[in-house]
Amino acid sequence: MQPDEQALCFPCDGDWLTAVLSPIGPGALARRGVLIVVGGPQYRAGSHRQFALLARSLAAAGIPAMRFDYRGMGDSGGAPRTFEDVDLDLRTAIDRFIAAVPGMREVVLWGLCDAASAALFYAQHDRRVAGLVLANPWARTNDGLARATLKHYYLARLLQPAFWKKLASGRFDVRGSLGSLVGLVRSARGGAAPAAQERPSTAPGPGLRERMLAGWQGFRGPILLITSGADLTAQEFLDMVKASRPWQKLLADPRVQRQTLAAADHTFSRREWRDQVAGWTAAWVRSW
Amino acid sequence: MHAAAPPPQPFFLDTGAAARFCLYHAPLGACRGAWLFLHPFAEEMNKARRMVALQARALAQRGFAVLQIDLHGCGDSAGDFADATWESWLDDVACGAAWLRERSGHPAALWGMRLGALLALDHIRQGNAPAALLLWQPVLNGSQALTQFLRLKVASQMLTEGGDSGGTAALRQALAAGQPLEIAGYTLAPALALALDQLDASKLPPPACPIHWFELVADAARPMPPAAARVAEAWRQQGANVRTQAIAGPQFWATQEIAECPALLDATLAALTGTVHAA
Repeated sequence: MQPDEQALCFPCDGDWLTAVLSPIGPGALARRGVLIVVGGPQYRAGSHRQFALLARSLAAAGIPAMRFDYRGMGDSGGAPRTFEDVDLDLRTAIDRFIAAVPGMREVVLWGLCDAASAALFYAQHDRRVAGLVLANPWARTNDGLARATLKHYYLARLLQPAFWKKLASGRFDVRGSLGSLVGLVRSARGGAAPAAQERPSTAPGPGLRERMLAGWQGFRGPILLITSGADLTAQEFLDMVKASRPWQKLLADPRVQRQTLAAADHTFSRREWRDQVAGWTAAWVRSW
Repeated sequence: MHAAAPPPQPFFLDTGAAARFCLYHAPLGACRGAWLFLHPFAEEMNKARRMVALQARALAQRGFAVLQIDLHGCGDSAGDFADATWESWLDDVACGAAWLRERSGHPAALWGMRLGALLALDHIRQGNAPAALLLWQPVLNGSQALTQFLRLKVASQMLTEGGDSGGTAALRQALAAGQPLEIAGYTLAPALALALDQLDASKLPPPACPIHWFELVADAARPMPPAAARVAEAWRQQGANVRTQAIAGPQFWATQEIAECPALLDATLAALTGTVHAA
């Protein structure tokens, strides 16, 4: 029988943060826990409760897990802020997490989308962060988005029989699609920004990719990189890696393990995908 | 600098499979009334979380006790979404209202948003009499809401499989045959779907308490949406005390990014601190 989850509330520079802790069984000890960092327009339960279910799954596997809302999100107080400005929130949450679990000494940060990027920025500055799980990291620039869309979405669609069937049956919006294709080509060549965005987040500040690279280079612990095959954010990240020697070198390092879910979308929106991600995470956290 | 309300207090009501995540906002100063918030369905709940938190804090600051409860299988509460039933949600409403009454010393008023509003109305239909009712963009017809949810599945089938699978009618048939459906990451149980399919606010008797009804519209010149206006008018003709207001703002439960609508927060606060809901 799993112990009940605990609701926590703690201050962060004058605002109150809300968190839920999934503890492990009584008498069990864990040196390492997982702090789930929430990315995108979500709060701590996650899209389709992904983070609530992930935390429960980890706790059942003997790994304490905590998830929380940073300032301005979900139930936490304060003004909204972007993923590029959550270092203090992360530090405060790690403090509270470690205080709540006797015997726990270190944490793995688990982040999806821009939370993966936020985890990369933070990790090297806190010795208690032992490892990182980065799922579909957010490395967006408008230019990169256009390239990823062209390459992965349009080309893939042209190869699908269903696309041609739809076209023949008149159900395909030719004008709209061609219009966005033209915009993308322009943008990929360095012209105007595309109007359509897959998941428009806060505009990336200058040097997002450089900061991510510096964060990865500065962090010494193991990293698990999980990417979805049917996700432009992941494809954009991988395109960036392919086009960059320093990134390729980092990903080739033996401390980096990679897993890919070919059919999955950005948020792993099926039970089998969620379970696979939770299984990989638990096995990896216990493997070192 | 004026006094601040105490920090919101998160806790789990009950334990084990019955554990329900709650967030209690204690009133600043003497308590003037108590509001139980009932959240929207599936992903709408996530997207609305910030706006609800802002409103709950503003109400607490003005002397109201507010309790947010995550229904069975939703948010941080125990269970999987697939386990949830309409009945278990109605039970949660009763538990939340009882806790709030005991804690605050005031009978609970119900604040329902989207499908949570329909849940509040069904709770009232069962013979419960809240102190007042606050409706945020209520879902009035469960069958239509179900169709809209099923359309997410149809769209995803068209994108990934490319075929026309028979639309929402085929999905309804599958549900009627007892087959759960995974839609946008949520497993919809047949029993819950069938319960939703039968809910229709226009067929329910009007609540006897004061009703504050807010709809969000695209611009300030727009009136209440016709379906909402019809139900409100029918309730008025049956003697109900209904105040409706159309507010211009984003549909923050459905926007891609988290959106705020300060005009709705202000209008709600003005309505509840006015004379209509004097505790």
